[in-house]
Amino acid sequence: MTLCLGIESTAHTFSCSVVDERSILSDVRSIYKPPEGSGIHPREASRHHAEESSNVLREALDTAKVSIRDADAIAYSAGPGLGPCLRVGAVVARCIASYHAKPLVPVNHAVGHIELGIRLTNARDPLVLLVSGGHCMLLLFSNRRWRVIGETLDITPGQLLDQFGRALGFASPCGARIEELAAKKSSKYIRLPYTVKGNDVSYSGLLTAAKKALSSNSVEDVCYSLQETAFAMLTEATERALAFSRKDELLVVGGVAANKRLANMLNTICDRQGARLHVVPIRYAGDCGAQIACTGLPAYKAGIMVEPSRAFVRQSWRIDATDIPWREQSIEVSS
Amino acid sequence: MLIKKGAEADIYLVEWYGRQAISKVRKRKQYMHDMLDREIRMKRTLHEAEMINIAKRAGVTTPLLYFVDPNNAEIVMQYIEGELARDLIYQGFNVGWIARMMGIYTARLHARDIVHGDLTTSNFIVYNYGTDDSTLVLIDFGLSFYSSRLEDKAVDIRLIKEVMSSAHADVFNDAFNNFVQGYSSVVGSEYTARVLRKVKEIEQRGRYARVV
Repeated sequence: MTLCLGIESTAHTFSCSVVDERSILSDVRSIYKPPEGSGIHPREASRHHAEESSNVLREALDTAKVSIRDADAIAYSAGPGLGPCLRVGAVVARCIASYHAKPLVPVNHAVGHIELGIRLTNARDPLVLLVSGGHCMLLLFSNRRWRVIGETLDITPGQLLDQFGRALGFASPCGARIEELAAKKSSKYIRLPYTVKGNDVSYSGLLTAAKKALSSNSVEDVCYSLQETAFAMLTEATERALAFSRKDELLVVGGVAANKRLANMLNTICDRQGARLHVVPIRYAGDCGAQIACTGLPAYKAGIMVEPSRAFVRQSWRIDATDIPWREQSIEVSS
Repeated sequence: MLIKKGAEADIYLVEWYGRQAISKVRKRKQYMHDMLDREIRMKRTLHEAEMINIAKRAGVTTPLLYFVDPNNAEIVMQYIEGELARDLIYQGFNVGWIARMMGIYTARLHARDIVHGDLTTSNFIVYNYGTDDSTLVLIDFGLSFYSSRLEDKAVDIRLIKEVMSSAHADVFNDAFNNFVQGYSSVVGSEYTARVLRKVKEIEQRGRYARVV
C-alpha cells in the first residue's frame, strides 16, 4: 500500500487528506467564510489557511491513524487558484517534504476533481463536465491529456451565481441559497440571454441581464430564471459534446455538481443519448484534500515529483497543459 | 426511420415524393423551460432553412431543401450519402484534404458575413470519398447568423480548433494547418492573420489561460 497526504489550498478551502489505493482514510477541511455580500478576499483567505493549517493537518493524520512518517508522498495543489492561498499549501507541503525527506508531488487542482470523481463513481471512459467556481469545461481524455472539447468563453456558472448572489447581499459561495430561492415558489420565467456557441457557452451577458431584471421582478423569479437559463445552456453544450464524442458515460465533478436542478437536467440528456450519468457524491463535489491526495498517489507512482526548492505554484495552469502519464489511452469508437 | 438522435434534433430517413430524404425534427427539450424551448426551436429551424440556401450562393455545398415547417420545427432536406469527416479522420484517412476543404468553406461563408456557429467535424459530410468527385457537404446551420464582426468569425474558427485539438488530438497540427491554408486561399493571408490573432485573443480570455 502507498500512503499519500494531499494538501488543498487553491481558494476558500484549506484541507488535508490521507489516502491509500483502497480508501480515503481522512479528509479534513476548514473553509474561509467571507462576510455577507462579498467574495473571497485572497489575503484574508490565505491568513485563514495559515492559521488553520496545523490543526487541519494534525486532525487529518489523527483521523487516518497514521503518522506523517508513514506517508510515502506529499501532494499539494500547485494551481490554478489564488496566489496567496496556493502559497500557504505549498509552504506546508515543502516543509513536511524537506523535514521528513518525502517525495513532493505537484497536482493540478482541476485534474484532482476528475481523478477523485472517477475513483468514487467507477466511471471508465467518460465525457467529463467540470463545473465549479473556477472551472466550466467539457473534457475528453486523449493522447495523455484531458482535452477541452467545450468550455465557457468568459465566466463560469460558479462565478455567475456568486456574482449574482453578491448583488443580493449574500456571501460566496451563493449557489445553494439561489437554488433554495429558485425552488421556493417561483415558476415565472423571465426571458434572459441564452448564449450557446457550438460546444461553448458564455455567461457574462446573462449575469448583467439577471442583475438588471432584479429591479422589476421578484428575487425568486430572477433566481429561478437565472438558474433555468444558465443550466439549460450548460446542458445543451454537454449534450452536443456527448453526441459528438459518442461516449457512453458522463461524469459531473466540481462544486456546482451539488446542484440538484443541474443533475436533473443532465439526467434527461443522458437518457436521450443512452449514456450513464455519474455525479460525484455531494460531500466530495467541492474543493477538498482528497482530490489532491487521490491524484498525487498515481502521479507519484508515475514518477512525477519536484524538489522542495523548486516546488512551484501557478495561478494560471490549464488542465489541457498537464500530462497524465498514469491514465490509459481511451479508445475512440468509430461508427 | 429514426437514424440519429442528435443533441439538436432527431434525424429521420424518409421518402419525399419518391426520393430518399432527411427529416430533421427539433424535439421538445425536456430540460428546458417551455417558453425558451419553443422560441429556440422555431428560431433555429428558420435560421437553418434560410442559411442553408444562402450558403450555396457563397459556394458552399449544402443539402437541398424540400420543406420547412417552423411550427413543428421540422425541415425535410436532401439525403446525403457519405461519411462524417469526424469518422474518416478517426479511421485514419488523410486529414489534409478534408481539413483544407473545411477551411475553404468556412472562408467562403465568412467572406459573405455568414457565421456557421457550430463548426465541428461531425457537421461536414464527405460525399464519394476517395473518388474524383468527392465533395464536402456542410450541414447543421441551426446556430448560424449574419455578422461582419471579426470576433464572431474568430469564435467560429476557435470552435473547430477546439474540436480538432480535443477529439483529433493525434492529428491536430496537420488538421489545423490545412484548415488555415484552405481558409487563407480564399480570403488571403492578411485577413487570415487578423482572424487568427483574434482567435488567440479569445483563447487568452479563457479561464486560466494567461500566466499570472
